[in-house]
Amino acid sequence: MLWSVPRQTTTCLATKGVELLQETRAVRMFPPSRTSAGRRRARATSAFGRIGRGYWWVPYLLPTLVIYGLMVVWPTLSLFYVSLLHFDITLTRSHFVGLHNYRTLFAQPLYWVSLGKTALYAVLVVPPTVALAVGLAFLFARAIHRTTGWLQASVFLPHVTPVVATSVIWVWIFNPQFGLANALLRHMGLPAAGWLESPRWALPAVSVTTIWHTVGLYMVVVLAGLSRIPKDVLEAAAVDGAGGWARFRYVILPLLSPTVFAVTVLATIANMQSFGYIFLMTGGTHGGAGGPAYSTTTDSVLLYYTAFKYQFFGLAAAMSTVLFLLILLWTAFQKAVSSRWVFYR
Amino acid sequence: MRAGRVLQFGLQAAVAACFFFPLYWVLVTATGRRGTVYRIPPILVPHFDFHPLLAVWTAAPWLHYFANTIGMTLVTVAWVVGSSALAGYALAEGRFRGREALLLALLGAAMVPEQALLVPRYLVVHSLGLLNTYVAEILPLLLNSFGVLLYRQFFLTLPSSYRDAARLEGCGEFGYLRHIALPLARGITYAVALLAAVAAWNQFQWPLIVTDSRSIQPLEVILAHFSQTYQSDWRRMASAVLLAVGPLVLFFAFVRRQIMAAVTGDVDSGLAG
Repeated sequence: MLWSVPRQTTTCLATKGVELLQETRAVRMFPPSRTSAGRRRARATSAFGRIGRGYWWVPYLLPTLVIYGLMVVWPTLSLFYVSLLHFDITLTRSHFVGLHNYRTLFAQPLYWVSLGKTALYAVLVVPPTVALAVGLAFLFARAIHRTTGWLQASVFLPHVTPVVATSVIWVWIFNPQFGLANALLRHMGLPAAGWLESPRWALPAVSVTTIWHTVGLYMVVVLAGLSRIPKDVLEAAAVDGAGGWARFRYVILPLLSPTVFAVTVLATIANMQSFGYIFLMTGGTHGGAGGPAYSTTTDSVLLYYTAFKYQFFGLAAAMSTVLFLLILLWTAFQKAVSSRWVFYR
Repeated sequence: MRAGRVLQFGLQAAVAACFFFPLYWVLVTATGRRGTVYRIPPILVPHFDFHPLLAVWTAAPWLHYFANTIGMTLVTVAWVVGSSALAGYALAEGRFRGREALLLALLGAAMVPEQALLVPRYLVVHSLGLLNTYVAEILPLLLNSFGVLLYRQFFLTLPSSYRDAARLEGCGEFGYLRHIALPLARGITYAVALLAAVAAWNQFQWPLIVTDSRSIQPLEVILAHFSQTYQSDWRRMASAVLLAVGPLVLFFAFVRRQIMAAVTGDVDSGLAG
C-alpha cells in the first residue's frame, strides 16, 4: 500500500499518511467477519425491526460519494485523457493529439529547469525539516514547567497561520536593505545576501520560510511517536546497564524509525507540491513569481502559469500526469529502501 | 540535574521565541511609529498606534472579505462533520458488499496529489458552470476521508448492546446516530471540525484559481492583491496582515491543545484538555 498525499498548506492531511498505513494494515489483519461489528451484523438479522435492515445506508453515503465523484474520480479519470488533447477551454473545441503534449513538454528546457528546482527545493527543505522535527520533539518531550505546552504550541503555531499573510512578513525579513536577516548577518560579521532578489539565494530564503511553517507539524507527529514508546522497554534497557546515549541510539531511535520514515515521506511529497510561499514570496499575483531568472520556478509554479495564465490545459494536464507518476515512483522507492533502516516491531 | 532542567527550559523558551517572533513582529510593525521597520537595531516593543489599522480597515470592505472567509469556513465545517459522520456510520454499521473496498477507495483519494488534480478539478468546475462561485471555492474541501475514517473506527468500538438497546426503544438508524453515537464521538467531531476550519480559513491557491471577482474572494486572496497596494507603506501592509493573522492566533490560543491532538489523530487527549 502506498502512502497518502497531503495537500499543501492544509493541516490534517500530513498525518493522514501515518493513520492510513496503520489503518490499511488493520483492515487486512482484521477481516470484517472477525471484528466485533462483523459479529454484530451476523446477529442482527430480523429479530428487531428497524435497525440494520434494508438500504438505509445509501443516503448516508450519498453526500460523501457525490463530492468524491466530482472532486476525485472524475478529475483523476479525465487527467490522462485531457493530457492527450489540444484543449481549448474558451471554444470547447478540443481535438485528440496523442502524445504531442508530452513531446512538447519534454522538449521545453524550462520544464527540466523546473524539475531541477523542485528537487533542489526538496533537498533544501526536507532533511533540515526532519532533523529539526526530531530535535525539537526531544527538546519539548519533557514538560519542565507548566508553560512548556505553550512554548511547544508556539513552534506549532506557524503551521496554522495563513500563507499569504506570513509570506509578507518573511519578505520583509529577507529585504536586502532593511531586512532583519541581513541585519543579523552583518551583526555577526558575515556578508549580506540579496535573498529574494538574487537567483542564488531566493530558493534558500523560501526554504527557510517553508521550514518555519511546517516543522511544528512534524514535531508534533514525532512527539506522538515518542509517547508511544513503551516505558517498560526503556526501563529494561536501563536495568541492563544501557546509558543515556545507548538507550537513545539502540532503543529509542529504532522504535522511532517508523515515525521518522512517515515524516520523511510526507514532508517530501508535500514539498514536491509546495506552491504558496514560492509563488507569494517571489512575486505573487502581481507577476514575476518563479524568479529571479527562473531560480524559483518549481514544478507547481510552472504548472500554475501553464494552466491558469497561458491556458495550455492539455500541456498542464501532461505536466500533472508526470507529477503524479513521479510522486508514485518516489513513494514506492522510499518504501522499498525503508526496510533497510525502518524497524517495525 | 537541576541545572540541566533549567538549561533545557531556557532552550525551549528560546526556540519558541524564535518561531513566534515573525508573528510578533507584525504587531510591532503595524502599531509602531513611522519607519519602525527600517530601524537597525530593530525596535522590539509595539507602540500600539492603531491609526494605520483604521486607515486600512476603512479603505476596503474588509468586513465583507471576513464574512466571505467565515461563511465559507462555517459551511465547510458543517458539511465535513455531517457528511463524514453519516458516511462513517454507514461504513461501520451498513450491511453491504464492498464496504471495505469503498473505505479503501475513499482513503485512496488522499493519495492522489493535490497539485496533479488542480487542472482537471478546474475543468470539472468549469464544465459544471460553477467558476467564480462560492460553491466552487469550497468544493475540494468538502471531501474529508480522514474524518470518515475516524468516525468509522470510533463507531466500530461502540458496544453492540447500545444499538440493541436503541432498537428495543424503537429507535431508527438516524435516531441512534443522532442521539447516541454522535454525542459519544464528541472528541472526533471536535478534531474533524477544527482541522476543516483551519484548512478552509487558510486556503489560497484554489480560490485564487476559480474566482476572479473580489466580492466573493476570501481574505487570503484579497490580501495577496493588497500586498502591492501597500508595498511602500509597511505599517499599513502589516495592519492588513494583522487583520488576517490576529483572529487565527487568538483562536489557536483557545483550542491549541485540541488542534495539536487532532493533528496526530489523538482525539481522546484533545477531549481531555
